[in-house]
Amino acid sequence: MRNHWRIAAFALVVAIARDARAQTAEIDATVIDQQGRPVADAVVVAMPSDPNVRLPAKPRDDVVDQIDKQFVPKVQVVAVGTAVTFPNNDHVRHQVYSFSPAKRFELPLYAGVPAKPIVFEKPGVVVLGCNIHDWMIGYIYVSESPYFAKTRADGKASLTNLPPRAYIVHVWHPQITVAEEKTRKTIDVTPGAHAEVAWTLDLKPEASIRRAPVPGQGRRY
Amino acid sequence: MTKQDSCPPAADCARGAGSLARASYPVPARIALSALFLLAAFGTPAQAEWLLDITAGATYDSNLTHAADTPDVRRDFAATFDASAGQFFAMTGNDGVTLTANARGESYVRYRGLDLAAIGASAVYRHKFGLGWSAPWAALTANGSYDRYRSELRDGARFDVRAEVGRRFTESVDALVGMAYDRRYARNGDPEVPGIPGNVFALIGQSAYFQAGYAISERWLFSVNGAIRRGDVESTSQQGTAVFLASSAIAEDPAFHDSRLYAYRLRGTTTTLGATLSLALNERSSLDLRYSYASTRSPQDLEYRSHNADLLFAYHF
Repeated sequence: MRNHWRIAAFALVVAIARDARAQTAEIDATVIDQQGRPVADAVVVAMPSDPNVRLPAKPRDDVVDQIDKQFVPKVQVVAVGTAVTFPNNDHVRHQVYSFSPAKRFELPLYAGVPAKPIVFEKPGVVVLGCNIHDWMIGYIYVSESPYFAKTRADGKASLTNLPPRAYIVHVWHPQITVAEEKTRKTIDVTPGAHAEVAWTLDLKPEASIRRAPVPGQGRRY
Repeated sequence: MTKQDSCPPAADCARGAGSLARASYPVPARIALSALFLLAAFGTPAQAEWLLDITAGATYDSNLTHAADTPDVRRDFAATFDASAGQFFAMTGNDGVTLTANARGESYVRYRGLDLAAIGASAVYRHKFGLGWSAPWAALTANGSYDRYRSELRDGARFDVRAEVGRRFTESVDALVGMAYDRRYARNGDPEVPGIPGNVFALIGQSAYFQAGYAISERWLFSVNGAIRRGDVESTSQQGTAVFLASSAIAEDPAFHDSRLYAYRLRGTTTTLGATLSLALNERSSLDLRYSYASTRSPQDLEYRSHNADLLFAYHF
């Protein structure tokens, strides 16, 4: 008799979970470049097309590491209000800064983990640099919408647990040549469905400062 | 006017060289020890960044003798090697000091007398005027080395000090201008002419220079450089009235296996223009093709030109 109750409770939990899943939807995004190659580190954002929809506020903590004098990950996506820490995992000191309108800040020369994280309150792209190692460049995409994902090496990304409704989806990448608004697409997702969306981006060469040596020209730091 | 009267710098050079020659302990040991001392003194592991740079390759010089007349011109290829290790100390976000010790070698195909082994040290202080990669910067550099050649006439210490300012204008374009003072001490050189010193390679000069780089793509970088140097130069040639009258030191130069050739120290202005094409193999290494053209004008209408090309592999850690 006791086992029957257990089985019934388990069945109820499974049913609720299945129902909950059936109430959400997914968007599978694919991003390729003009040569048909998959584009990694593209940020895909879904924003409800109805401006009156109240977005769940989910600020959380996140991290941008510094490893081997590089920002890791090079592109990080966070929701508005997220507090980001910048641990320095190198044996040398870094001085992380940004001049971007979305967030201007400077972490004076430090080793280890800075005492306070940086909170990103405004949506937009924040370009990161290190004042000691000029070639270090990183990006934090601060999204107004909590529904976002970043493409993997295969150029694919999945936005999961989306409430079924119409969305405007758009994409951004550090090397994108067009305004982010021009990549907008409207998708209506239904409960339990997998919507698919794809972009072919025209990418410009990466604007990065060369790290490789040039004989006789010394180190510029 | 006597020969000695026409040579005030040479007198200084001779005195400088003489005092150095009298120093009983080899300069290389002093340079290396000084570098080690500085490294140890600043060596705070949490702040220091270890640096290792290695460059190896081949070089061609169209006028090794720096001769004005074609019959005296000697050209050759050499294998080259350069390694430096040291530390970078970020004192503040805007100030940094780099201290390195280095070793350098050259081995020629025909003129083995020019084969070189050198050790030295370098110190660079750099200040950045602001935040970000586009902030202008200024640097003060001191380099010192002891050069030992197979042909000992050229043996001696050398040092230079430099002041540079530069700026990166975009991620792809940067430039610098600088001024340098260089001095080379000659330990050897028997006087060939009474009253005229034989330390031909005791040289002093001042330069102004520029350098600009353009990253064509993520992997390719093209840079140009130029310099004007005024001061002492060395030219090896057969005896002649013009070069004799213009010279402030003379010595027999055995490096070129030709008993007719003598080394002369002259005053001169050298203009150098160069270009480098660099292919980044990855973030730590590159393959580089470097070319430079140099033209030196000296009194008595003496003028010599040289072309120099290098193919180099560079690695840094």
